[in-house]
Amino acid sequence: MNGESTLSGSTRAEWIKFRTVRSSTWGVFTTVVLMIGLGALFAVLTRTHWTQLSPLRVATFDPVSNSIGGILLAQFAVGVIGAMFITSEFTSGSIRTTLTAVPNRARLLASKMVVLLVTMLLVGEFVCFTAFLIGQRIYLGVVPTASLTNGTVLRSVVLAGIYLAFLTLIGFALGVIVRQSAATISIYVGLLLIVPLIVFFLPQSWQNDIQRFEPSSLGAAMESPLAQSNSFGAWSATLVLLIYVVVLLAVAFTLFQRRDAGANT
Amino acid sequence: MIKIDHLTKRYANTVAVDDLDFEVKPGVVTGFLGPNGSGKSTTMRIILGLDHPSKGQATINGRRYADLTSPLHEVGALLDAKAVHPGRTARNHLRALAASNQITKSRVDDVLEFVGISSVANKKVGNFSLGMSQRLGIAGALLGDPGVLLFDEPVNGLDPEGIRWIRDFFRTLANEGRTVFVSSHLMSEMAVSADQIIVIGRGKFITSGSVDDLTKTAEGTVLVRGSDHAKLTTILAAQHAVVHDSNENGLTVGGLTSDQIGQIAFDAGVTLFELTPQRASLEEVFMDLTADSLEFGAQRPTPGAVP
Repeated sequence: MNGESTLSGSTRAEWIKFRTVRSSTWGVFTTVVLMIGLGALFAVLTRTHWTQLSPLRVATFDPVSNSIGGILLAQFAVGVIGAMFITSEFTSGSIRTTLTAVPNRARLLASKMVVLLVTMLLVGEFVCFTAFLIGQRIYLGVVPTASLTNGTVLRSVVLAGIYLAFLTLIGFALGVIVRQSAATISIYVGLLLIVPLIVFFLPQSWQNDIQRFEPSSLGAAMESPLAQSNSFGAWSATLVLLIYVVVLLAVAFTLFQRRDAGANT
Repeated sequence: MIKIDHLTKRYANTVAVDDLDFEVKPGVVTGFLGPNGSGKSTTMRIILGLDHPSKGQATINGRRYADLTSPLHEVGALLDAKAVHPGRTARNHLRALAASNQITKSRVDDVLEFVGISSVANKKVGNFSLGMSQRLGIAGALLGDPGVLLFDEPVNGLDPEGIRWIRDFFRTLANEGRTVFVSSHLMSEMAVSADQIIVIGRGKFITSGSVDDLTKTAEGTVLVRGSDHAKLTTILAAQHAVVHDSNENGLTVGGLTSDQIGQIAFDAGVTLFELTPQRASLEEVFMDLTADSLEFGAQRPTPGAVP
């Protein structure tokens, strides 16, 4: 016990804090249920309706994105995990206690970020691989399956897990910036759902330019082994999403350094 | 030791702290006194590096809070007992704090034991009463065995037994040579628990000193009873005294000492029956000092005045 405040110490502290509140444990549980449960449901529905599907649907069927289709909803769960990890500190006022123990604000945010990134990468990869394997098992004999021995398929499943981890960090960065749980989650959901809706009503030529920059389109590009029309390639999409994460975190770090942490928000 | 160096904190259109400049020394309990909204909490938050000062600085043992390498080992603070995640247990809350400053788990159990909440250590903090939360906050402040301790309105919400406990606790900490800085808006509380007092109002420094000094320097009055009150009033007024109150019980005279009044009465040939210096209570001193700096002044409740 030398009493020093260090990065490893504050990271251990943040890990204790992450696993001892319901918003995180329930968030992770929800992510697992949505990914594995919904994925299995999609696979079963596909299998039972396979013979009734249109030739076009059959021709464009992708056993990867279908089996991990739960990501459509899980992406909201992980955003909430990231957001709540910091907004709960602001709304309860515990950020003041936290900052008296770790006055170095960049170090504090870095610790929180490391805990989120490592945990949610592990969770993300686990749920994506599990959902994928369960899906292929369900398709077996009726629906064409994909195999992880195929490099493109493996890439898709791995990037799907990374997509979930990146979205957690986007939720986290928004939380640092906005500081209130409900407002943060609304903005996060808006970013994923409402922005695409607005873009849908823009002129067609604009749509083509903007659509592929939407987080959900980037996700689709990352998790599908098939090239998507009017979209980035899988690696480029990952890079663009990473840029979003870095820019949002940079804004979050700057504001967090500059603002007073004392007054209630 | 805490040093406040020409500290100013401005918000959009208010000045919360206005050029404060003082020191808080080790070995004594220092009370930080002022009406609600006078800038006490803001000053404490700046000391802890939570709020950024607009001008000046606050240092602890010569360094700004943000530059401390072992913050919990140097400073323990309890600002707001309810500023804890309600969904976490008391023990987990302290364990996380301890982990951030490389403090052992056994120390967590020790402080829980000391403040007397071991039996509820595995309960969620959200269900705690204010008194239990205060104790948890004190446990957190003690985790790193710090030499400087800050408490913001610590007796709020405590029962009489708890208040007594916390007074003894402050005394013990100070006797161990630690710096103990306690804010309150209650003069009566500070009168019994603090050795030194710093009074502020509307963010400005008003006065400081020991409890005894403060009551002494306050303008006292003298109760005078003699053979001819009318004559006394006239001759005392001629000596620039202020005669506050005059009735058959005597005169309340300000601005002169009892020695001076006795001499004046003797010279004028008035016989005195009573000559008693009236010592102002600390409460009155405080009211006098801060009368001009109340942010939310209320009317004095007199019969018929309640709307």
